[in-house]
Amino acid sequence: MSAQDKIEQTVKGNDVVLFMKGTKEIPQCGFSSRVAGVLNFMGVDYSDVNVLSDETIRQGIKDYSDWPTIPQLYVKGEFVGGCDIITEMMLSGELDQLFEQQGVSFNKDAADQIRAHNS
Amino acid sequence: MSVIEEIRTRLDGAFAPMLLEVEDESEQHRGHSGWKEGGETHFHVRIQGPAFQGLSRIERHRAIHEALGRELLTRIHALRLTVGP
Repeated sequence: MSAQDKIEQTVKGNDVVLFMKGTKEIPQCGFSSRVAGVLNFMGVDYSDVNVLSDETIRQGIKDYSDWPTIPQLYVKGEFVGGCDIITEMMLSGELDQLFEQQGVSFNKDAADQIRAHNS
Repeated sequence: MSVIEEIRTRLDGAFAPMLLEVEDESEQHRGHSGWKEGGETHFHVRIQGPAFQGLSRIERHRAIHEALGRELLTRIHALRLTVGP
């Protein structure tokens, strides 16, 4: 299977997927760490793909979304954004809205708590 | 031309922004992967202008990626973007 096929399968086969450097337990980059940290704290059930363990996926995911940086978050098959966009959406409440619209469960109190600490 | 000047020149030319700040944040990432002695690996761009009006977050970032060009993007390790209309 080609890298693009593998990526397509992962993106379409999971409600929430984060392509990141490292794993959700042990992120290897500050930007990946921030997004994983938000999702972990919000209690979102998501799959993590460590791009550092497969060079074809590391380049392949950039080609797939035509987006030059990692991390990349996908919800219900759609690319949502990288670290800056997820951070902005988290703080504005748009990420909550997206999860609600897409039927992804998360802890609203935890999300409010993050906002309270960053306002 | 240094990388920071290159970023500034390209964004200025593409968007004629009201606000443009390009900061080399490499020093904050000293020793991390992608970091190199001499800096110019990690950047933060703050940009605001009417060119970004009506665009989604993803479209704004894509417009900036396009203005900077693939070749420049592969030369730097990290790019933080704060974009507004």
